[in-house]
Order: sequence, then structure tokens, then C-alpha cells
Amino acid sequence: METILEVKNLAKKFGTFEAVKGVSFAVPKGKIVGLLGPNGAGKTTTIHMLLGITTQTSGNVYYFGKEFEQNRVEILQKVGYVSAFNTLQGRISVWENLLVFARLFQVKDAKKKILDLIDYFEIKEILSKRYWDLSSGQKTRVNLIKAFINDLELVFMDEPTASLDPDIADKTVRFIEEKRRENNMSILYTSHDMEEVTRLCDEVIFLDHGEIFAQDTPLGLTKRIETAILNLTFDGDKGKVEEYLKVEKQDFSFPHQYSVTIKTKEKQIPKLIFGLSEKDIWITDIEVKKPTLEDVFLHIARGEKNVN
Amino acid sequence: MSIKRMLAVLTQEIFITRRSLEVTIDLFFFSTITILGFGLTSVFLTGQIKGASAYYLILGLLLWEIVRVDQYSISVGALWNIWSKNLSNMFVSPLTMTEYIGSLMFSAVAKSLLVFVLLSLITAALFKFNIFSLGLGNLSLFFTNLTLFSWTIGLLLLGLIFMYGTRIQALAWGLIFLFQPLSATFFPVETLPKFIQPIAYLLPTTYVFEAARAAIENPAINWTYFVISFVENLVYLVIGLWLFRLMYRRSKETGQFASNEG
Repeated sequence: METILEVKNLAKKFGTFEAVKGVSFAVPKGKIVGLLGPNGAGKTTTIHMLLGITTQTSGNVYYFGKEFEQNRVEILQKVGYVSAFNTLQGRISVWENLLVFARLFQVKDAKKKILDLIDYFEIKEILSKRYWDLSSGQKTRVNLIKAFINDLELVFMDEPTASLDPDIADKTVRFIEEKRRENNMSILYTSHDMEEVTRLCDEVIFLDHGEIFAQDTPLGLTKRIETAILNLTFDGDKGKVEEYLKVEKQDFSFPHQYSVTIKTKEKQIPKLIFGLSEKDIWITDIEVKKPTLEDVFLHIARGEKNVN
Repeated sequence: MSIKRMLAVLTQEIFITRRSLEVTIDLFFFSTITILGFGLTSVFLTGQIKGASAYYLILGLLLWEIVRVDQYSISVGALWNIWSKNLSNMFVSPLTMTEYIGSLMFSAVAKSLLVFVLLSLITAALFKFNIFSLGLGNLSLFFTNLTLFSWTIGLLLLGLIFMYGTRIQALAWGLIFLFQPLSATFFPVETLPKFIQPIAYLLPTTYVFEAARAAIENPAINWTYFVISFVENLVYLVIGLWLFRLMYRRSKETGQFASNEG
């Protein structure tokens, strides 16, 4: 598969502090790769290095098979960036801002392209407003339009749906999916919304303390956590349930008189259900909560290293 | 280098200038009020002093405004984007730093020319001081040397802002005034204390103001002063570009360039 972005042993030291410790990864054509990690993991520094606004201490970055520093202008013509954390020029209007970026990217038929995107994001009424007068949700949408004003092959999206209401956030995610489908675009995506990441990303890279801690598909990552939560509602003697689960050395609690929550390995679930039935416990409801990407994130953020 | 991308930066400059009361005040209002004050002082002095020296104030100010507006436009031009957290957006596009600086320099020349013409018309109309009587040749050479000097100072300030962030932004307005007395803007160099005079002659601006004062009575071009000033300017500009490059590189190494965006 064609590689759009290749990162080799990228490292960054600020004085004696190692913010990024020699990370290597690739973004294939048409794929969405999530770059996740707790605050301070090194995501932003990595993105800044990949965009050339921070210089790496060591390592190499290649886009479309070409070295970044030597081919910066040609490469950035095909790369977009949208972040919830930086904004456009506040003193001038939305239209003026978008026109400036269309000219920086030398977009053909810029006015039509801007208007089409404005229609999609339903922000026609704010075109003449100064950027600093917009709500944070409106700003995020204008930032998205700025990023997609050009025909891109790769987009960096740093929490693009932060501060959006659920409806617009969903519309944004659909827009990203559409763009990826239409143009076979690659995306490097960061977000703290794990549902969004699971929905969008083909592959996820977890950074922690400047290192790649785990790298897999969202499903592959969740499978690395063996523990699932089993909630049972039962009719019968609570003491028998407690006794059985103690014998089986399970981690459990009783949120109510007739329900039990068991933290167990996924493959143990059938055995536990049958075992309880054999003890004359009538199970009336079963709920299994499988690990999500959020659980993986929390494990990493809390320093629980058993996801590898 | 792409002219189209430079035009995009200039378009943004025009939009900002048009919509910012601060720019109007800093460039036009401040300049006009100052020239009115200096003009009236000159009118008073012409009644007290014989000869060309009564016009030194107004002449010095008219030429000084080229330096101030030029340098202000370069340093503050970038600050507008830093304050808006838009600078990294600009530099994750194909825009290069050379194109950006080139655009700011061009914009600075346009603004200083506009302010200079406006102030010259005011002084001609209200105070009967026509700076164009010095000759277009003289004025073009003065303008060239003053512009080159202010580009150098503007670049150095921009490099410092990139390296240290907005905490040193006050220098963008203030630092240039250090050179006003040192350049003997309003008085002959001999007025300066003896030990400062050699420093004054290290500044290209000093030769411009000296030549301009002499030109009030004799508008012949002082080529010696022009060449000294121009050579000094070229040396300082090369050093300025080198230092700017170092500071820009350093700001990207320390992460300050990206964190200027908040």
C-alpha cells in the first residue's frame, strides 16, 4: 500500500526533557490513523515537528516518499491542518480569512469552493462577521473549511470536533468520512473522543511519555484488555452466588440485593453463567461490557501497562 | 519564491489595516498629531531663529516617520498574526519565511510612503515647509537608506519576538526610539556629547539627517554621505538577516515558534 507519511525515529529534546523519544510510524494512502495519548504524551510536539513549525532533534519525516525539509513547499501544498487550539486572524472577516488561505494555496476557482464548503457547514450568515466575534463552534467550522479549501492528500486534525455540539460534531465526522471516501485522503487524527476515534480510525497509535506505547486497529487494541464487565441480575440466594464467585477467585461486587457485577476475563463468562445456574441461581438478565478504546486510553493514562 | 503567495500576505495586510482602528491610530493619527505639534514649534522657532535650523525639527520628524512606520509595519505586521494565534496556520501552508518577510517589507514601504506623502502635504499646506524642495533625487536616496535601516531593525525585532514570544512585544514600538537621538534626527551631530558622536556615525540614519539638513540650503546630493550610509546599511542588513535566520531557527528548536500560538 502506498505510504503518504513516513516517520522514522523522530525525537525531540527540550533541554534535558525528552518530549518525543524516537517514534516511527506510517500513514498509508486513504487511511485514518489516530494519534492518541494522555496530556503531555508528546502528540502536539510530534504534530508540530511533522508540520515543520518545530525542528526535531533527530529523525526523518517523508511525505509522498520525499524528505520534508528539502521539499517543504511542494509537500505543504498537499497537506492540510486543522486544530481546535489555533485560530484564524481575528480582526478580519470569515470571508477575508478564507480568501487569504485560498490565495496562499493558490486554489483555482476559490470563491466557488469556499461557498460550497460554507453551504455544507451552514455558516453562510457569518461570512461577513469578524472571526473573533464567532462562537467557538463557528470558529471550529471555519477552521475546517480553511483546512479543506485545497485539494489535499493528507490532513492533520487535532481534536477537530472539540467545542462542537453533538449535531455539528456528527456532521463534521460525516464530512471527514465523505472526504476520505471521495478523494482517498489520508488523515492523522487526534481526539479525546474515543467513540469518534473508534468510528473513524483504521489504526491507532498510543503515545505515552514520548514513546509509542501501542499501535493497532481499534479492535485489536481493545482485545489487548482481557477484562470485561459482566452484570448479572438473579433470583436466588445471594450467599450462594458470593460463595461460588469466591471459589472461582473472581473480582465482584453487589450493587443491589439481586444483581452482581463481575470483573472477569471474557473467555470466563460462559463458565460463570453455567456455574451459577448449576448452583440453583436463576439468572434473569445478562449484560456484558466489553473493553472499549476508552478503557485502553484510561489504562495507559493511569499507567496500567497490561494492554501490551 | 511565489509572488502569488506574497500577494496573499499583502491581501491579509490590507484587510487588517482596513479593519483595525489601532493601525489607523498608530500610523496616521499619531503621525499627524506629532507633525502638527512639531510644525507649530517650527513656526514659533522661525520667528526666533534665523536660517535653516528653524526647520530641523519638522524635517527630522518627516524623515523619522519613514523609519518608524517602516519598522512598525514589519514587527507589528507579524504580531497581528501572533495575537490571533494564526501564525502557525500561515506557516503550515506552502508560504515560506522569505515570502512572508518580503511581503512585510513591501507593505512597510507602501505604508511609510503613504504616511510620508500625507505628512509632507500637511507641512507644505500648514507650515510652508515643502520637503520636495530638497529635490526628488535627495528624497529618493534618503528614503532608500532610511528604509534599509528600518528593515534591519524590524527584522531583528521580529527575530526576537519569534525567539522570546510576546513578552518582549513592547520593543516593537519602543526600541526604534533609541536610535532617534543617536541618529541626530533633530539637531547637528556636533550637538551630541563627544563620546557619542563616533557611535552616531556608525548609524546609517545619521548621514541621512546630516545630508537632509545641509540640503535645506543647498539641495545638491551629498554622494559621500549617501554611499557611507548605503554601505553601512548593507552591512547591517546582511548581519540582520543572518541574526534573524539564527533566531528563527532557534525559535523552532526551542518550540517557541509553535507555542507563540498559545
